[in-house]
Amino acid sequence: MVTTAVTSAGIASEEPRSDFGRVLAQRERRFAAALLAPAFLALLATTTFPLLFLVYTSAFRMDLAMPFTNGFVGFENYQVLLSDERFWTSLLVSLVYTGSTVTLQVIIGLALALLVMDMKRGQGWFRVIAILPVVLSPAVVGMIWRTFMLAPEFGIVDFLAINAGLGSKNWLGDPTLAMVSVIAIHTWQWTPFAFMVLLASLASLPEDIYEAARLDRASAWQRFRRITLPLLRPAIVMVIIMRTMVALTAFAAIFTVTAGGPGTATEILNLYAYRKSFTELSIGYGSALAVALLIVTIIISGILFAMRRAK
Amino acid sequence: MPSFTPTRRTLLKTGTAAAALATLGPAFLRQAAAQDADLAPYKAAQIDWQQVSGETITVAVIPASYFENLITLAPQFKALTGIDVRFEKIPPAQIRQKSVIDLTSKTGTYATHAADPMYYALYAANKWVEPLDTYLADKSLTDPAWFKLDDIIPAWRSANGIDGKLYGMPYDGEVTIQVYRKDLYDAKGLKPADTLEAYMSNAAALNTPNDRVWGAALRGVAGAGQNMYIYPSIFREFGGDWMKGGKLTVNGPEAEAALAWYIDIMKKYAPTAAANWNWPDIADAFSQGTVASYIDAHSSASVINNPEKSKVIGKVGYARWPKGPSGKRTTSIWNWGFPINAALPEKKRKATWLFIQWAASAETQARTAHKFAGPTKRSGVNRTSVWKDPDYIKLMNGFGENFVEATMGALQEDTDVDWRPRVPQWPAIGDTMATAIQSALSGQATIKAALDDAQRRIEPMMRG
Repeated sequence: MVTTAVTSAGIASEEPRSDFGRVLAQRERRFAAALLAPAFLALLATTTFPLLFLVYTSAFRMDLAMPFTNGFVGFENYQVLLSDERFWTSLLVSLVYTGSTVTLQVIIGLALALLVMDMKRGQGWFRVIAILPVVLSPAVVGMIWRTFMLAPEFGIVDFLAINAGLGSKNWLGDPTLAMVSVIAIHTWQWTPFAFMVLLASLASLPEDIYEAARLDRASAWQRFRRITLPLLRPAIVMVIIMRTMVALTAFAAIFTVTAGGPGTATEILNLYAYRKSFTELSIGYGSALAVALLIVTIIISGILFAMRRAK
Repeated sequence: MPSFTPTRRTLLKTGTAAAALATLGPAFLRQAAAQDADLAPYKAAQIDWQQVSGETITVAVIPASYFENLITLAPQFKALTGIDVRFEKIPPAQIRQKSVIDLTSKTGTYATHAADPMYYALYAANKWVEPLDTYLADKSLTDPAWFKLDDIIPAWRSANGIDGKLYGMPYDGEVTIQVYRKDLYDAKGLKPADTLEAYMSNAAALNTPNDRVWGAALRGVAGAGQNMYIYPSIFREFGGDWMKGGKLTVNGPEAEAALAWYIDIMKKYAPTAAANWNWPDIADAFSQGTVASYIDAHSSASVINNPEKSKVIGKVGYARWPKGPSGKRTTSIWNWGFPINAALPEKKRKATWLFIQWAASAETQARTAHKFAGPTKRSGVNRTSVWKDPDYIKLMNGFGENFVEATMGALQEDTDVDWRPRVPQWPAIGDTMATAIQSALSGQATIKAALDDAQRRIEPMMRG
C-alpha cells in the first residue's frame, strides 16, 4: 500500500511544486517508521517489557511455596538483600571471577596475538584451532571439564598434576581450587575471542611508525610500550567491556561444573538469583537480586565506557 | 507384547468386534481383532474407557527407560480410549521447574507430569493439583475391584499423600539399599553391614586407593535430590526429628553426629571426586570396579549390570540400609507419580485420570516390565503383586544376590514417610541444607557452623 503511494508521488513529480520535497520526505519517514515498527515492537516486547516486569516483580513478595504471604512489599526485598550475607558473598565472588577472567583473557590473548603476528607460516591453522573453544556451548564445556579434566584420580588435569609431583587435588571439591578451576575454564573458553580481536587490530597497525621507531633505535619493549599498546588501546578497552558484561552474567559453565559449590564458594550473583527464583521459588526476592546484578553491570560498564572516551 | 492366549472372554469380545466390523472389510477386521486381544485385560474394568474419546493431553516425563517403555505402549492406550497422548521428555533437573512454572501460570500445558513426592505439599497448598480420592471414588471413572489401589506399594502411596489424601499416583519408584562387591567382601570374610558403624569399618577394611579401590561412596554433589537424598536418612537414623516441638529444626546434636558420620566416610574412604558425584557417577565408578560399596537407589542396579559397560556383573550383592545408633533403619523412599493438573477443563481432567489409571494398572506395569519385548526392564514397578510374580522375580534376581529380598524388605519395613520434612517450603529448605552439607564437607565451614547457619536461613522461610 505504502509503496504505491510513493510511486504515485514519483509520477506526480513531473510538475515540481515547492512543497513537494517536504511531502516526499515526510512520506518516506512514515514509510520507514512503518517498516521499523514490527522490529521495534518485538524489541520492546522481548527486552524492555521483561526488564520492567522484573523491576515490578522485585517490589512484591512472591513466594510460590507460601502463596498466602504474597503481596506488595515495596523496597522490602532490597532491604533484606542489603543485610543478606550470601548476597554480598556472591557479589564478591562475581567481582573476583569477572576481574580475574577478564585480566587473564586480555593478557593471554594479547601475548598469543603478538606471537602469531610473527608467525611466517601456519597462521591460518592457528586461528582455526584457537577459535574452537568459543564455538562450544558453555554447558558442554562445563561437562567436559567436570568429568574428563578435573575429576580427582580420574581426570586428565589431575593425572598431569600427579605426574608433575603435585599430588592429587580435589579440583572442584576444595573452595579455593574450585574458584581457580571455574576461572580457568572461562578463560580457556573465551581467550580466543580476545585473541582474534587483538590480532585483527594488530594486523591493521601502520608499519611505517615501527619503521621510524626502529630508525630511532627504539628497543622492542619501547616499541611495544610506546606504539603498540597505545594504538591497541581502543581494541583492548572494547574487549574488556564486552568480556566484563558477559563474565558478570556467566551462568551455564559454572552451573554445570560446580553449581555454585562447594558450599557457596563459586556462587556468582547470577547463580544465586537463579537459585533463589527457581530452586527456592522466591520469585520476588530473586527478581530483586537480578535487578541488583543489572545495576552492578550498568555501573561497571558505564565506568569502562567513560574510560574509553577519556583520551 | 504378550502372546495371544484366547480365553472365553477375549474370544467373545473378538467375536463381537468381528461381527460389528464385518461390513468394513477384511483389513479393518484384522487390525481390530489384534487390538481387541491386547485390550481385553483393560476392558475387564467396569468403566467406559471411551467416555472422553477425541481428547488430547500432554504428559511430561523424564528421559528414562521406565517411561520409554510406557511411551511404546501409548498406541494401545489410544486404541482403548480414543485419547491422544503427547509425551514431552524433560531431564530430571528441569522437570520440577518446568512443571512449577506451568502450574503457577495455570496454562495447563502438562495434563500430568512425572512429579517428585516432595512437591505434593507445595502443590496441595497452592491447589495446583487435584486430590485423587474423588476420581478413585467415582464409579464411572474407576473400577476399584479392577484397579486395586491397595496393591500399589504403600510406602510410595503415603509419600504421595498429604493429610490422608492421595495427590499423585505412583508409577515407578525406588528405595535406597546397600550395594556391595560380594567377591571383595567374601575375600576378606566381611558381611554386608547391619549398622552404620559396621558400614564404616567395612569401608575401612576394603579401602586400598593404591590399588584403585575405595571403600565406599555416597552422593556428594549439592542438591535437594542429591546429597539431600542420602543425608536425611542418616539424620533420622541418628535420632533426628525434623519437626522438633512443631518447629522445623535442622541443627542440634543429632544433626551434628549424622553429618559428622557422613563427612567422615566421604573423607576417609570415598574417592575424592565423590564430593562432586551424583548417583550416575557413583554407579559408573562401581561398575568399573573402583568402589567396594555404596548406599543408593536400588534402581541403579541396572547401570551396574549393563553388559556393555560393567566389569562387575555377577559379583554384586545387596542388603538393606544399615541401622543407625537409634536402632532404626530409614531408607529414602521415592517415586515418580502422576498428579492431575487442576487448571485443566473437566473433560481433559477425566482423560488424564484415565491415562493415569491405565499407566498405574497392574496390566500396564507388567507390560512395561517383565512382559516388555524391548531390552530394558524396569526395577521400580509400583505393585506388590508384580513383585510376587515369579517371572518378575527371576528377572530382578539377575541383578545380583539378594536383590528382591533387600528391595522388598526395605520397601515394606524400613520406610518412614517423614524421612524428609514434608512442607511446601521443601524446595528452598532442601537447597539450603544441601549447600550447608557441602560447605561442611569441603571444609568451608565447621559442621556446627554450617548447620546453625542453615537453621538461621530456614527459619524465615517457615515463618511466612
